[in-house]
Formats: sequence, structure tokens, C-alpha cells
Amino acid sequence: MSILHDETQQEIAAETARVLGARRDKARLLEVLDRCGEWDEGFWRTAVEQGWTGLAVPEDFDGLGLGLTELGLVAQEAGRVISGAPFLTYGHGAVCALLACGDEALQDAWLPRLAQGEVRAAIAFAEGTDPIPLCPQVEYRDGGLHGEKAGVAGALAADIAVVSASRDGTPVLVLADLNAAVSGQLERTAIHSIDNGRLFANLGFHGLPATVLAEGDAARDLALEMQAQMAVLAAHEQTGGAEALMLAARDYAVERKAFGQPIGAFQSVKHRIAELYGLVEIARANCIHAASLQGQAGFLEAAACARLSATEAYDTAARDAVQIHGGTGVTWEGALHLHTRRARSLAIELGNGLFWEDVLVTGLTGVAA
Amino acid sequence: MIALDEWQERARAWLAQAVPEFGLAARAGLTQDEDLEVGRRYMAAKYDVGFSGITLPPEFGGQGLSRLHKVLFDTLEMQVAMPVGYFGVSTAMPLPILIRYCEDKAWVRERVIAALRGEEIWCQLFSEPAAGSDLAGLRTRAEGGEQGWTVNGQKLWTTFAQYSDYGILVARSDPSVPKHKGLTFFWIDMKAPGVTVRPFRLANGDIQCNEVFFDDVAMADSQRLGPVGEGFSVAIATLMIERYAASDADGFGPPIEAFIETLRPLTINGRPALEDGRVRGVIARNHALRQGLDSIRRRALLAMEAGMEPGPEGSLNKLFSVRSRQKLSELALDLQGAGGLSYAEGAYTKADWATSWMGAPTMRLAGGADEMLLNTIAEKILGLPQDYRPDKGVPFNAIPV
Ligand SMILES: Cc1cc2nc3c(=O)[nH]c(=O)nc-3n(C[C@H](O)[C@H](O)[C@H](O)COP(=O)(O)OP(=O)(O)OC[C@H]3O[C@@H](n4cnc5c(N)ncnc54)[C@H](O)[C@@H]3O)c2cc1C
Repeated sequence: MSILHDETQQEIAAETARVLGARRDKARLLEVLDRCGEWDEGFWRTAVEQGWTGLAVPEDFDGLGLGLTELGLVAQEAGRVISGAPFLTYGHGAVCALLACGDEALQDAWLPRLAQGEVRAAIAFAEGTDPIPLCPQVEYRDGGLHGEKAGVAGALAADIAVVSASRDGTPVLVLADLNAAVSGQLERTAIHSIDNGRLFANLGFHGLPATVLAEGDAARDLALEMQAQMAVLAAHEQTGGAEALMLAARDYAVERKAFGQPIGAFQSVKHRIAELYGLVEIARANCIHAASLQGQAGFLEAAACARLSATEAYDTAARDAVQIHGGTGVTWEGALHLHTRRARSLAIELGNGLFWEDVLVTGLTGVAA
Repeated sequence: MIALDEWQERARAWLAQAVPEFGLAARAGLTQDEDLEVGRRYMAAKYDVGFSGITLPPEFGGQGLSRLHKVLFDTLEMQVAMPVGYFGVSTAMPLPILIRYCEDKAWVRERVIAALRGEEIWCQLFSEPAAGSDLAGLRTRAEGGEQGWTVNGQKLWTTFAQYSDYGILVARSDPSVPKHKGLTFFWIDMKAPGVTVRPFRLANGDIQCNEVFFDDVAMADSQRLGPVGEGFSVAIATLMIERYAASDADGFGPPIEAFIETLRPLTINGRPALEDGRVRGVIARNHALRQGLDSIRRRALLAMEAGMEPGPEGSLNKLFSVRSRQKLSELALDLQGAGGLSYAEGAYTKADWATSWMGAPTMRLAGGADEMLLNTIAEKILGLPQDYRPDKGVPFNAIPV
């Protein structure tokens, strides 16, 4: 895949930007912040209607057969308008897992429904402070899951989940149909969070039935591969968000006057925005590079680069854009905090900076932390 | 025209066979003057095989190929550390300017070929003691007109003026108009009576910069390049020519792989340095940054290959890569303890941490200081307002000194 986008890819980005720009509902996004358990379903309907859910699903399973590059471009636009639902990224994770498992019955059962947006997926790997534990505490025995996964994004409205667990001390990845839970097999405990639209919950499993997708080393490798693919999508979202903030800061700096001139004429403001431009472009270049390497050697390291530079860009933009907006930057209605909050939730989901630094450096040096 | 990759392979092969004669090992221990002579021989050899003046028109001794060809060749040439530093300014900016503005085309052709072959060297006489970033504030005067001109004043920094035969010069021809409007562009004979060149030593030990004094130096009007009073635009056009020069995500310092190999045998608190979280953070952050810059560069090359204009993000490279080089070099030296103290002046900046570190401040100033690059990004790409400029629109001779 080339790192120079072709016409179709440019069109996907432009059309996504157009649709999302027109339908962006700031009032709804702000409202959701106060309401644990609610989310911006309008965004999800748009995603389904536009076919984004099936973009990277093979044609055999009713998808469009495109890849991370195209889905990434959609994610970038979604990040720009603070996407109202976490399911594009995690749906892609579930698609990766199903494609890798090789079980045709499972694939036929779920992939077309994921492609059509009929089911929403969550991915539950993290335990405690460990984004991908080597030996998960959650146990898989007698066909059912036991234990707890904390802070699972999308968990409050997901239909299925891919969960990492241990079976007799061996790691497994399993697929669970959350809607099939009976009599206390599944507990979803909502987390009232800084970014409620992400639908974070702790998932308590008490014998929830699940099917094995991969086990042993294959389960570990697949979990890391899924994490990397999802992180590349999240990095696109972060880059889109960072760019939106950078441009908002630019617009404000041109318009707002102080001491007889636009604040953008003060170098401490102007140079900060120029630095943000640099961080955004570096993150974008890393995202494009990583997406182009999907399925090839070096993908993991490229994904780590994308993730690290996009997190840095979004966090820096969130700090500096608010600062440049003065008091306006910290009002509820001004809504910049939607980005500030999203910068944090996206940085925590899918592994923080230290996790990705170690993934990258282990890959580059062959030395583990 | 032959396919680009075939051409690139030919370049790679030719450079590989040139390494034993002209490479770093062959030049170890040479004085600068001896090194320059090797450089001149290298330039002649390169000219003879047709890898010189890649983008220049064939009627002036160039190859008439694309910018992409040039970027590719320069990148390969840098990887094998050929002795081209002395000719960097000489063959980059002056030649296209001469071709464009100088009337005597036969004379231009002779100069271009001599410069490409390393027989003659050109320098760039822009900056002055009181005019660096603020180039248009320069004070060197050129008085006269159609009958001829007389130059008086001083230039500063002029790279390799001590070896130069000719220079391109911006001087003030009219102090009574605002600063950008009163400048005129010329070429000048560095051996002309009244030109004095004084080399001085830089902080890293290099002797490449010069003070150049002009005392009643005579120039013919035919030495003028572009209209009277338009010198600033010609100078800016000159500086733009190299916009797509080979960029290096390592800021012309050692790559991350070298950092890793430097650290591999070292320990911190009795444990391998590469296991230390602080070190890992630095490796990861710098690698991610450089990988991003490299992707920007590769995307620009692909765009050029497809006949499109690369995006403005190419202008980020020097700003971000040199800062990364400076800090990474600091840490590479510190982590070696006493091993970081030794310094061999004039080592290759891409292969030696101390040389890289000592040379980094220069890179953050020459060719546009960091702060000026930030201003350019802010104003030209993002549309932010110019700084407050009290001298704007004021006749030059009315600006308080
Ligand atoms: C090794 C070397 C080789 C060189 N070779 C040549 C050559 O061959 N020919 C030639 O013509 N010149 C050459 N130069 C000169 C070079 O272009 C200038 O050094 C450069 O433009 C900076 O100018 P200055 O040194 O006068 O610094 P100044 O312009 O005085 O800058 C001093 C500091 O002030 C900052 N500053 C200035 N203006 C602003 C502003 N508007 N906003 C914010 N900060 C500002 C700068 O960023 C810098 O940090 C060379 C310089 C070096 C170091």
C-alpha cells in the first residue's frame, strides 16, 4: 500500500469530513458527558449508513475489502469531530480476531453482522495497569469466563466481546456473545468517567459462555496484532483531534486581539501553534506509514510510532489550544474540553505511552524492558 | 529518459566504486586543504560520469533531469560521505541564478562547468554583522549604475569564501527607500582588488566561515543579476531553490541505530543501559519523530514522481530533526561517562557523537534559525499574522540604528 493516497482514498476522507461536519452535534456530545451510560447514537447510525463498519471487512463477508488506510482516514475525520461512539476501532479489533481464528462457522456468524453494523464489539484485554497481561487473571473453564476486566471501552453498549483469559495457565482469546448472558453470568458496572461517551464499564464474568479464537502463543501474538491495528486507528483519531485543536487555536489567534494586535502576532502564541502543526504532521505521517504496513514486516514498530506521536500531538494540542483560548478555553459551552477529555481517554485506552515505548524499543533493540 | 530506479541503481553503483578513492577512510587524517583537493578530484570524476548539475539545463553543462533525481542522488551521496561540503553552496544557489539572470550565456556555461567540476568555487555573500535573520537590513553599499558600480562594506559568515573564485552578493543600492526595496543582486570576482577575505574559527574548531571586506571594489553593470532594487526577491528565489534538497531525518547527525549500538555495551546502576526506562523513552520518542519525518520525505518524493507538488510539511525537517540530533548527542556523550570526553575535530557528523553535538548549534542557526522557521511555518502555512515590525515601510536611512 502506498503512502501517497490515491484518488479513492482522498475521496473517502473528503466525503467522511463532509458528512461528519454536517451532522456534528456538539450539544449532544456535551449532554452525554453528564450522563453515564449514554452515547451519541447519531454518530453510530451515520457510521452504519455510510458503510464505515464494513470498510475493512473482506468482500466475502459483505464488507468492502479495504484496509487500515481507508478505515484510518475515516477515524481521522471522526477524531476531528470527536466521534460519538468507540465501536469503529473495537469492531475492527473483533474483525481481526475473527479473520485470524480460521473458524468458518464463527466467521459466517459474526463477520457479516459486524460489517453491516448490526452488532457492536468491545475488546477486553487490560487488567489492572497491564494493557495486555501475559497470563490473564480472567479464567476460561468449562466453556465459560470467570473474573473481571476493568475499564472496557464500549462495554455498556457492546453486543459481543473478544476477551483474553487463561485456561489452565495457557493464554486464550475467546469471543463472548454478551446478549446471550443468563442469570448473573455477566455484570456490567458502569464507570462514571471523564468521557462518558466512551461507555466504559467493568465487566464481571460469572460463567459467561465463550468460544475460543486462539490459544497459547498464537493468542498472545494475535492480541498484540489486534492491539496494534486498533492503536493505529486510535492514532488517526488522535491526529484528527489534534489537528482540529491546532486549527481552532489558529483561528482564535487570528481573531482575538490584545494589546492592540491579534494574539497570533505574539511569538509565544504563534510559535506554539507552529510547533503543533509540526506534531500533527509528524503524527499524520506516522499514521499513514503504519496503515500502509498492515500485514507486513515492521508493522508493530510503525504502529508504536504512530501511537506515540499521535498521543503526543493530541495531548500537546489539548494543553496549548486551551491556553491560547484564554478563559474561553475552560468554559463548558466553549466545548474544547470535549477534546481535552478525549485526549485522555484515547491515551489510556489501548495502552499508554510507556507501553508503546517498550513495544517499540524491544522491537528496535531486541532487549526487553 | 531511462527509468528512475535504473538511474538510481547506476548512481548507487558508481558511488560504491568511488568510496575506496574518495570515502571517509581514504580521507582520514588529511588537512582541510588536502581534503579539498580530493574533493575537487571527486567533483571532476562525478562530472565526467554525468551525475553533476542534475537539474541544470544540458546547454549549460547540466543533466536536465528532475528534482527527484537530484534528491535521490544527494541522499545516496550523503550516505557514503563523499567530500562535497566545499561545493555545497557553490553548486546549489549561484548556478541557477547565473543561468537565469546573466546575459553572457557563453561565459555562464564556462562558469557552470568549472563549478560543477570543482575547478572554481562560488560563495554566497548575504549575511552581515548587523543582518542575519533580518537579511533585508544589510548595510553593504553598491553605488553607481549603468556606468559601473562600487561596493563598500562587510559580509560575515561567508562559507568557504577563503577558497572562492566568485560570489553572489546582495548590496544596498538605495538607502532612501524601505529596506526590502533598496537592494540589488550581483556576482562578484573574489580576486578583484579591494576584496579581503579573513577566515575565522567556529566553536567546533572548523575553519569554514569568513569575514569579507569590500573597499571600493569595482563591478561592471553586467555583473548585476536582476533589476536594480529587486535584489531581495532574487535572494529569496535563491534560497527557495534548495527547498527540496536532500533532507535527513537524523538532522545530519548519527541515526537512532547508532545510538542503540553505542549504548548496547553500557550499564546504568549495574544493569544494561538498554533496559533502563529513561533510555528506552528517549529511543522511542526520537525514533517515532524521525520515522515521521522520514515518511514525510518519502511521501514528498512519491508526489514529485507523480508530477505533483509536495506538501508544505517538508519544511519541518530541519527544525525538528536538528533539535532531536542535539539532545540525542548530548545523552549519547553523557551515558558514555569519561568515554564521552574525547573529541576528534573534524570527524563526520553522522558517525561521531561529539562532532554531531558540537556542530548542532550551527545547524539550528545557519540556513534559517529555528525561530525564523517557526515564523515561516506560522505565517506562510498557517496564515498567522506577522510580528510587530517597527521598521516596516520606513526608509532604510531613517531606521534608528
Ligand atoms: C556556520 C555558518 C555558516 C554560514 N554561512 C553563510 C553563508 O555562506 N552566507 C551567508 O550569507 N550567511 C551565512 N551564514 C549566516 C546565517 O545565515 C545567519 O547566521 C543566520 O541567518 C542568523 O543570523 P545571525 O547570526 O545574524 O543571528 P540573528 O539574526 O541576530 O539572530 C539571533 C537570535 O535572534 C533570533 N531572532 C532574530 N530575529 C527574530 C525574530 N524576528 N523573531 C524571533 N527571533 C528572532 C534568532 O532566531 C536567533 O536565535 C552562516 C552562519 C553560520 C553559523
